[in-house]
Formats: sequence, C-alpha cells, structure tokens
Amino acid sequence: MNKKTSEELAVFGGRPIFEEFKSTSNLLKPDVEKFLNYSKTFYAQKHYTNNGPNVRLLESRLASFHNTKHCVSFSSGFWALALVIKVLAKPGKTEVILPSLTYRRMTDMIAWLGLTPHFCEVDEETLAMCPSSVKSCVNENTAVILGVHPIVNCSDVESLELIANECEIPLVFDSVESVYESIDAGKIGAFGEAECFSLHACKLFNGFGGGYLTTNNSELAKQLSSMRTFGFVGPDNIEYSHGVNAKLNEMHACMALASLDDIDAQVADNKARYYQYRKGLASLKGFSLLEFDEAFDSGFKNIVARISDAWPFSRDETVRILNAERVLARAHYDPPLHTKLNDNEYLACDLSLTESLATQFINLPCGQKVSCDDIEKIIDLLRFIENNADQIKQLMPRMTEHD
Amino acid sequence: MTKVEEIVSHLPMQPLDDPIPVGQLYFPDWCDYEQAMRGIFEREYYNNNGPLVTALEKQLENFLNVKHAICVSNATHGLMIAAQAMELTGKVILPAHTFIASAQSLLWCGLTPVFCDVQKDGHHIDSTKLEALITDDVSAIMAVNLWGGAADIDALEKMASKHDIKLYFDSAQAFGCEYQGKKVGGFGDVEVFSLHATKVLSAGEGGLICTNNDELANKIRSIRPSYGNFEKVAIEKVANSRMSEAQAAVALLNLKSYKDYQRNNENIYNLYSKRLSSIPGISIVNPEGVTLSNFQSLVCSVDEEKFGCSRDDLLNILKHFSVLARRYFYPGVHKTVDFEHYGYKLPNTDRLSNVAIQLPIGAQVEKDVVNFICDVIAQTHEKSLCHG
Repeated sequence: MNKKTSEELAVFGGRPIFEEFKSTSNLLKPDVEKFLNYSKTFYAQKHYTNNGPNVRLLESRLASFHNTKHCVSFSSGFWALALVIKVLAKPGKTEVILPSLTYRRMTDMIAWLGLTPHFCEVDEETLAMCPSSVKSCVNENTAVILGVHPIVNCSDVESLELIANECEIPLVFDSVESVYESIDAGKIGAFGEAECFSLHACKLFNGFGGGYLTTNNSELAKQLSSMRTFGFVGPDNIEYSHGVNAKLNEMHACMALASLDDIDAQVADNKARYYQYRKGLASLKGFSLLEFDEAFDSGFKNIVARISDAWPFSRDETVRILNAERVLARAHYDPPLHTKLNDNEYLACDLSLTESLATQFINLPCGQKVSCDDIEKIIDLLRFIENNADQIKQLMPRMTEHD
Repeated sequence: MTKVEEIVSHLPMQPLDDPIPVGQLYFPDWCDYEQAMRGIFEREYYNNNGPLVTALEKQLENFLNVKHAICVSNATHGLMIAAQAMELTGKVILPAHTFIASAQSLLWCGLTPVFCDVQKDGHHIDSTKLEALITDDVSAIMAVNLWGGAADIDALEKMASKHDIKLYFDSAQAFGCEYQGKKVGGFGDVEVFSLHATKVLSAGEGGLICTNNDELANKIRSIRPSYGNFEKVAIEKVANSRMSEAQAAVALLNLKSYKDYQRNNENIYNLYSKRLSSIPGISIVNPEGVTLSNFQSLVCSVDEEKFGCSRDDLLNILKHFSVLARRYFYPGVHKTVDFEHYGYKLPNTDRLSNVAIQLPIGAQVEKDVVNFICDVIAQTHEKSLCHG
C-alpha cells in the first residue's frame, strides 16, 4: 500500500488502493468450457426449461452432495423457501419464528405467504439463533420455525430439532450460506423437514440465479416439484394448490453444474483467503475474525469480523473508509429486520442483543475475485487506519464531502 | 379395441422419429449462444441488472414503443409484481379460458378472481359481460390476449375508465402483435409478456412487464427488485425475480431474429390453414382482433359430429404419431383445484375447453411436418367416418 499520509485516503480525496472494486460477493467463475459442454445437452435436445436434462442431473448430483433422498431446484432460494413454508405451515397458524439478524429479504418472503415474522434472539458469540429464545417464541400461533444458519458456521441444529419435535412445529432451514458445511450429525442438507439453498451468482454455487431444496421427505419433494410448475402433475392435471412458476431453467442448471464441478478447488481457495485474513487481522486491535469451526467441513466463503471498542473507529465509519478505497466491506445484517417493520407487522422477544450486534460486525471482501495479495493490501490498509487513527479522526469532518 | 386404436391401425403412416411439441422453441444458433455466454464469463457479470438485461430492456422499449420494459424471471412473477405495484385489493376480473398462471398470480397477491366468460364466437374475455361483474370490491380487470390475437382492448379500456378501476393484460402470448396498428405492450396500465421457451420471444424462461406510467415503473423495479438508476420507492415487499444475464443474452439474440420467427410462424399457419380448411369439423382459430399477429399458436376447434371423432380421440391419435398436440386450456381455470369451489358456470369457456386443440408451430415445425400432421388429421376424419 502506497499511502503515506491520512490525507491520501480515498475518503479524503486520495486515490483508492484498488482499481477494481473488491466485493463481498463470491462471484465464482466456473470453467466456461464445462458450462458450454453442459449446454450442448439441452441444445441438442431442444429442451430449454421445464425439468430439462441438466436440471434433472443437477438435482441428482446435489442430492448426492448433501446425502439426501431428494433435491428440488427453483428459480431462486427465495421462492424455494416461500413454497416449502407454504406447504409446511401448520394450518390456521400465522407466525414464522426466525432471527432478526439475517438476510434482508426474509420478511419479504414471509409477507408473500401472508404470515407474520416472530423474531428470536441470537447467540452473542456465534450469531446463530438462540434455541432458548426460539422456544420462548413458540406459542399457539406458531406455523413454522425457520432455522437460519449464520453465514459463518451453523446453527445449533440438534437443539432446534428437539424444540420442533417437542412442540410439533415444522422446522425448515435456510442453509443458503451453509452449502459445504457439516455438523456432528452429518452434512447440512438433511435436517429439519427441508433445507433451502441459493444458486445466486454471489453464492458458493453460482447458477446465474436460482435455488434448491433438499429433503428426505418424498411426498414433500413431489409436491414442491409440482408447485414450482403451477401445481401440474400431468399435462392437464393440477393437483396442488397455490402453484406458481418457480422453475430453474437449463442455462442456470448448466452454470450450477459447472460450479459444482469446481467446488473443492474453490473451497481450497476460500480457505487460503480465510487463513490470510486470520493471520492479518490477528495483528489488529479490536478487529476480531469470526472463525470457522475447522472440526467440520466448511466452505470458508464469508469473512466476518467483529469490531470492538478497542478499534479506533465505529463499524460504520470503518465501512465508509474502506468503501472509498473500493473495498466494498459491508455492515453485517444491519439494520436488523424488525427495525424495518412497523410495530404491528411483527412479534419479537427482547432483541436488545441483536440491535447491539448489528452495529458491531463487518463483512470483508471474499470470493474468487479477491486474491491473497488483495487481502494483504486490505490488512495493510486497516493497519494504516489503526496507526493513523488520531489524524484520521481530525480529518473526519471532511469525509462527507469526498464520499 | 378402442376407437383410437382402431383408427390408428388403419392409418398408413409411421410415427415421426422425434416427438414434436406444440412450440415455439426458437433458440439462437449455437455459435451465437456460445459467443454470448463467453462474453458473460469475460465480464463476470451474471445477474442483478447487468449490461445485457439493461440492453434488452432498452431494445424492448423501442420495439414495443413503450416507456418502460422491465424484465423479470418469469411472467407469473410479472403478473404478481404488476398486481402489487398497482396496489390491487379485493377482486380482479379475468377470463377462465387462460393459462392457470393468470389466476394463480392473484392468489399469491391475496386477491380473489372473478371469472368472466369468453365471447360466444371467440376466445377472449366477453367485454359485454363485464359490467355486471364490476362490484365495489373489484379493483381491476386482467384481460388475456390469446393465440396471437388480442381482446377487445377498446371496450376494455372504456369499461375500466368508466368504473375507475385498473386494467392490465396478461399478454404472455402476444409479443409482437399489433392492435389497430399499434404494438401490444402499451395498453391498459400494465402489460405482462412471457419470454418462456414456448413463446415467440424466448429467454429460456423469462417475463417482461411493460408500462407507460413512470410511477408504476419505479414501483415495479423496486419490487423486482433492481439496481441502477431509477427512483426507489416504498413498497410492501420484493419478489426476488430478476432476469439473469444468460436469459437476457438469449432474448437479445432471439429479438434480432424476431421477424424471421414471425414470418416462419405465418408460413406454417398459412399451410395449416390451406390444408385443414377442407377437413369437415376442423376450424382454425384465426388471430382475433389484431392487425398483425405473431402466429404464436395454432389452435383449432374440433366439431366431433362433423369430424367423426372427438377432440380427445384426435389428440391421442396424434400422440401415437409423436405429434404432441395439447388441449389448451383444459379444464377451464374455474374448474381447477384452487377455484372449482367457487362454482362458476361459464358455458362458452366450457365449450372451448372441450373442443380446442393446439397443434405444433414454431422452430421445430418444417413444411413436411405440417403436411404429415394434416395427413393424419385428414385420414383420421376419413377412417372415423368408415369406422364410426
């Protein structure tokens, strides 16, 4: 890094340290030749969508990957979740239990179902939904528990399953960021009634866009396969209520297959990036990495760090300084979902911890377009910020004009 | 032996080597596809309103002469997003002679469909029956443009205006059609096209929402949702329904060839028309109400008495010969699982659902395939009379 004085920071008008933006999106680029080879199959069969050959192959390979009986693909992870909750929600019940510190579109998905979010608290250290809090949210109106895995490591699956069984409430996992992860009981994919994943370009499997669901429940898989195609079970027979178009097309399936072919190499690269961050961030005061549990398989995709009071700047100030340098760090799940809704649109337990955590964590650039050299530069930048904190603070009133 | 088996046993032709679906299934040449895909990989821009989606929307706005063309992942989502953007409430009037997605889009938006029968002598919503259905809780009419034709748009616009309710079109099948010399796409408050592989303009899967209303366009883009330059407005919920760069690439290439596709469809239509017009009991549905058709669908009605066998028997005979004709729309939407309990009586819709048959048209239909299909139909008629 070639900055010598604080004035040279981009936030004060200096030249950014990167020419290209470095984002927190994974943006895996699979082998184009593999993608084209898969494409040749649908092209030869003139079968471009509607359960084509690559969609079937992808579903079969993903079911094997997750050690489940079934995989059903969808046009997005969002609609995979919406449809499975539509099917599993207890009749007449209205509430979905989920964390507030999670993906910003989750309440939109619940709104399409006409259900009400009931937010639980998360664990201070792991950011995973807290089982005791989940249990406290269960009431006579609970329709589904949406077990959302955090983006580093997994939720306490065993405890959530125990609560779901004990309370006889369906449990569905949002495992969008846990594709490669395992826990004591096995690979993510086979827990709860079903688990949902995304094939968006920013996820571990880039399928241009798309999603899928894994389950060992054959009737559920059959129903969802039908519902994503308007509820049809034959050319003229609609058997299931509330069908919709949520099919994955062939091009997207080809992309996901090519991504799947590359996955082990990608995870190895992610691990190298993660180690680079871990080594570098260890030397910074007040900047602590959320570490992956290496006792189990992990995709090492996301880099999340906690910024404590020992760091000279707030999380948001840090994000602004980094963004100006084209380091597209992001606030981690801030604002939490409940703060974006009106009081009459949700239920919640005490979420003071969630509100506090939402101000502390930062997502750092990751994925294929971020090299270990880039990470070194980012760490150097953070060290520069730490070392020049006093001067930067004096200059901070100038931040806005250069933002 | 069933009647179908008996007739088949007397027909001299052999089944086609490859099954022929109803269409449209136009797709770019491999070289163009490969080049477009390599371009996406080079740019590493895969989704979230990338350069190809942006270019496609611009080209579609020009082609359709509308202010806003907004691409989404499929037309069902397009209809759902349109209903949300217009903030519809209560009930929406639509025909039951339509694809199931028209009505399903309403269910997902918490709206109640009110089914209106179709014309006695046509396939589109009967505008003369609308007024009786418009009650205080009706917030919109969703008209459906079918088979390369269009509904009575003038009458519908007058009705919507008179009652101050929204009018939008499920124009899934109507891309490229013209009504009174003007491209379908800019009528009513919103029009939604399908870019599914079976439509004349394909993105593999895809949908397109068109409007001339700036405020609605901002809402639609916010609900989709979108990146880029537009005025983000407060909305109730997003739909996560973006079109990918791969879908846009295919649609852009197909759009370049649209005129060829339309011409090919028209030639096939003309050949069918010539061959089938002499067969008693078979009537081709001409594109209704348009000054220019995309000839997206080849639909006939089968008069069992005159033809000699029923529509369903003919369907099975064609299937035996690898011709995958379909009985669109069967049953009428009002008789499907989510809606049958309403108990609608729609005699014209019911009649059509029992006599309409869709024959193959589009990319996979060569002249000899049309002749083969027409031979099967002609000889089915002859054998039906002999063996009826």
